[in-house]
Amino acid sequence: MKEVVKNSEALYDFLKKMIVETLKLEDISPDDIDIDTPLFREGLGLDSLDALELVVAIEKHFNVIIEDENVGKKAFESIRALANFIKEEYPQGV
Amino acid sequence: MEYRDKRVVITGGTRGLGKTMALSFAREGARVAVTYSSDDRSAAETEMELRSLTEECLLIKADVSIRSDVDAMIREILHHWAYVDVLINNAGIIRDKLLVFLNEDDWDRVLDVNLKGTYLCSRSVVRLMIGRKFGRIINVTSPSALTGRPYQTNYSASKGGIISFTKSLARELARFGVTVNAVCPGVIATPMTEHLDDKTRDEFLRMIPMGRFGDPGDVAEAVLFLASERARYITGQVLVVDGGLT
Repeated sequence: MKEVVKNSEALYDFLKKMIVETLKLEDISPDDIDIDTPLFREGLGLDSLDALELVVAIEKHFNVIIEDENVGKKAFESIRALANFIKEEYPQGV
Repeated sequence: MEYRDKRVVITGGTRGLGKTMALSFAREGARVAVTYSSDDRSAAETEMELRSLTEECLLIKADVSIRSDVDAMIREILHHWAYVDVLINNAGIIRDKLLVFLNEDDWDRVLDVNLKGTYLCSRSVVRLMIGRKFGRIINVTSPSALTGRPYQTNYSASKGGIISFTKSLARELARFGVTVNAVCPGVIATPMTEHLDDKTRDEFLRMIPMGRFGDPGDVAEAVLFLASERARYITGQVLVVDGGLT
C-alpha cells in the first residue's frame, strides 16, 4: 500500500475504486469521478452514513483513523483532499 | 451450537444477570469476555465457572465510565480475538434516593456508569462491526425507564437514555448489518434485589401478573435470542422481560 500512497495518480485511482466498491455505487464508475468533485451533497451526493462507511474503509486499507468529525469533513471534500489527508497521516510515512 | 466461536463481550459480567448471560453464552460454545469494576472475589469465581465451560474466556477489570479503561479493555480483547461479534452493555449501578437528597455525585456516578459506559463501550466496537458488516449490540435497560419509580430519578434517567441511545444507534448502523436492541428485565432475583425489605418484596410480587420475580435465566434467553441470527431483522427495539409488570 505504501507504493500506492507514494504515487498520487495511483492513490487517486485506488480511492475512486474504493468509494465505488465500498458504497456499491451503481450509476457511477471510478473513471466518472473527477478528483476535485465534492464527495457529498451537490457532488457525488453521498450522505453522512456513506461517510461512516468510508471512515471504516480508510482505516482498513490505510490504517489511518479519522476520530474527529471536522477532520473527516475536510478529508472528504474531494478525492484530492482525501489523498492529501492519507499521505499526511499514513502511519509508515511516504 | 448456534453461538460457536462467536466473540461476546459482557460488561459487568461477573455477577447477577451479566454472569448468567456469560455462562449461557459459554455453554452454547461462544468465546466470552467479561468485565468487572471492583469485586475481585466474584470475578475469580465467575472466571473459574467460565473456564469449566470454555477455554476461550477473558476476565478484564475496567471501569466502563473511563475512556482509557475501555480503550485498554478493547485492546486486550482484540489482541486475543481480532474482532467482536456481540457487545452486551450490562454494567450498571443504582444509588436510590429521593431527589431532594440526591447529591451531584449520586447523579453523576449513575449516569457515568450506566449511560456514558454504554456510549464508550459501543463506540469502541462499532468501527469493527461496520467493517465486518455484522454485529449485535444489546443494552440493558429497566422498567424504571418506562414507568418511572420514586427514589430512582438518576437511575431511570440513565436507563431512559439507554433506550433513546439504542434507537438512534440502531438507525445509524442498520444498513451495515449491525443491530442494536435493548432488553428490559423486570424484577429479577439478583444481588441487586436481595436488599429489598419484605414490604417492598410483597409489593412487587403483587404488581407482577406472573406472581414471581424473574430468574436471571429468563433474561439470558432474551439476550441470546437478540444476539442470534434469528433476530437479524430486529433493531432499535426494547424487549421487555418482566412477567407482565409494565
